[in-house]
Amino acid sequence: MSGIVIGNTLRTSWKQILYWGLGLGALGLYIDFIASSPDIISGYAELFKTMPPALLQAFGASDVAIFTSPEGWIVSIFVSEAAIFLSVFAVMAGLNITANDERSGVMDVILSLPISRAAYMLERWIAYALIGLAIILVTAVITVAGMLAMNIDAPSDVIFASILNLYPSALLVMTVTSLLATVMRRRALAIGLSAAFVIVSYLFNAIGAAAGGAAADLMERLSYFSYVHGEAFVLGTYDPANTLLLLLAVLVGFGLSLKMFVSRDIGI
Amino acid sequence: MASGSIIEMRGLSKTYGSGAKQTVALRDLDLSVERGEIFGYLGPNGAGKTTTIRLLLDLIRPSQGSATIFGLDIRADSVEIHRRIGFFPAELSLWEGRTGDQIIHYVASVRGDARGIVKHADELAERLDLDTTKKVRDLSSGNKRKLGLVIAMMHSPELLILDEPTGGLDPLVQQTFHSMMDEYRDKGKTVFLSSHVLSEVQAICDRVGILRDGELKAVESVEKITNVEFTWVDVSFRDALPAGLQQQLESMPSITDVSTNGARVRMRMIGDFDPLLRAISSGYVKSLHVEEPTLEEIFLAYYSGDKEAS
Repeated sequence: MSGIVIGNTLRTSWKQILYWGLGLGALGLYIDFIASSPDIISGYAELFKTMPPALLQAFGASDVAIFTSPEGWIVSIFVSEAAIFLSVFAVMAGLNITANDERSGVMDVILSLPISRAAYMLERWIAYALIGLAIILVTAVITVAGMLAMNIDAPSDVIFASILNLYPSALLVMTVTSLLATVMRRRALAIGLSAAFVIVSYLFNAIGAAAGGAAADLMERLSYFSYVHGEAFVLGTYDPANTLLLLLAVLVGFGLSLKMFVSRDIGI
Repeated sequence: MASGSIIEMRGLSKTYGSGAKQTVALRDLDLSVERGEIFGYLGPNGAGKTTTIRLLLDLIRPSQGSATIFGLDIRADSVEIHRRIGFFPAELSLWEGRTGDQIIHYVASVRGDARGIVKHADELAERLDLDTTKKVRDLSSGNKRKLGLVIAMMHSPELLILDEPTGGLDPLVQQTFHSMMDEYRDKGKTVFLSSHVLSEVQAICDRVGILRDGELKAVESVEKITNVEFTWVDVSFRDALPAGLQQQLESMPSITDVSTNGARVRMRMIGDFDPLLRAISSGYVKSLHVEEPTLEEIFLAYYSGDKEAS
């Protein structure tokens, strides 16, 4: 692995980092702005009290009490929304790893160069993983900077850690999309299935957490959103096993897509 | 021409799909390409030329058979093979949002020795009259193909694999390209060039392989292929056809398939023009058109000639 493909991908994708980072950062600033007003927060908390638990879950919180503190508000609202936006980025990044180049025909030129398929895919994956990390870092820095600028009384490290905690789930969506694109060989189908993966995961998490019983529990466990747990950083219940599980799924998914990409015909 | 095979294909086959939907793209291909030759791989569209090239580049995998380049296995040693070859794809796609220079630098850095390669790329671009500062999306299709040729040749590979390289190039650039191929041969390098244009293959190749419906039908020297060549001749007279001309033409051994339409006569001709010119001189010739036969016609003529000989 020479790192040339990584360097080239990063060089040509810096605008992506900037735009996504600024976009998500702007969302963070908006959430900061709301969190800076105790009246607004308490008003929302009253509103959430009237909501059924499933709807509350959709806002990323298991307990309405979490909304009463600025850090609880920022983490619950921002992290759950950012997780969805990052999933969109991750689907696009997953397609960029190999599928888009294969569809356009550029892959024929690339794979006629002295670089193995495995090395190429690995370098592209690492490059987009770094781009995702950079976007999350930019987002976290803007959100925390906004919080400090607005004199919000909330622990910066908790906010920063809860935003960084989105990274494994973004990697998972990216890897799943890359795997689907490699297996299906049809970009549109891969996009559809990846979107379904994100939406179904989101619904499973919301419904699974709100409803009781074994089936609901299983639904929740099958959702990658349930392993993100932004509020765990506020409540002090963060479990690294959840992050490791997501990373393990990423590893397995990447291994499968690598195996498929190396063994199959290209551009067919 | 230096000795030794550069490309060896043995029983190479490729099928797509399965069951009733199975399509045979390439069947049991045995072919050797020698060091220092320009080998023309000739066949109509859909004959299996691109499939062969994609197999050689390890972009697709053979259903049966094997192949080596430089004595190395195309699958197991693909990275080493790719280091020593240059490739131009028939349907060239490049990064639309990047300039020629950026692409050249990127490809050169993947190949290593970026400085030397880029210097040679600049020379090639100048020779092909290509502006490498423009983004690919702003280049005409001809200029995109020039860029593709620069990328394929800029590291002076031992073997060039070119899939229909001159389509879309203007005649002047085609001439430059032909000169470049001659220089390649003079340096003892090898070119594997696929084409469906007979005249191009005639102009630059030493040997020709004819592919049809996924099967290699013949491998011959260009001279031998040329010997079976014929032309279609169309003669228009100002007034009517001269009396007895059709019978006279039909009796000539070098002329067949004579058809008339008013004051016009069309025929298939082999060999020298002189007997024909003498025959038509009895009338006032308004125009005379000579058409190169299609590849399919050459192919059929070649085989009917073979059958007659046997």
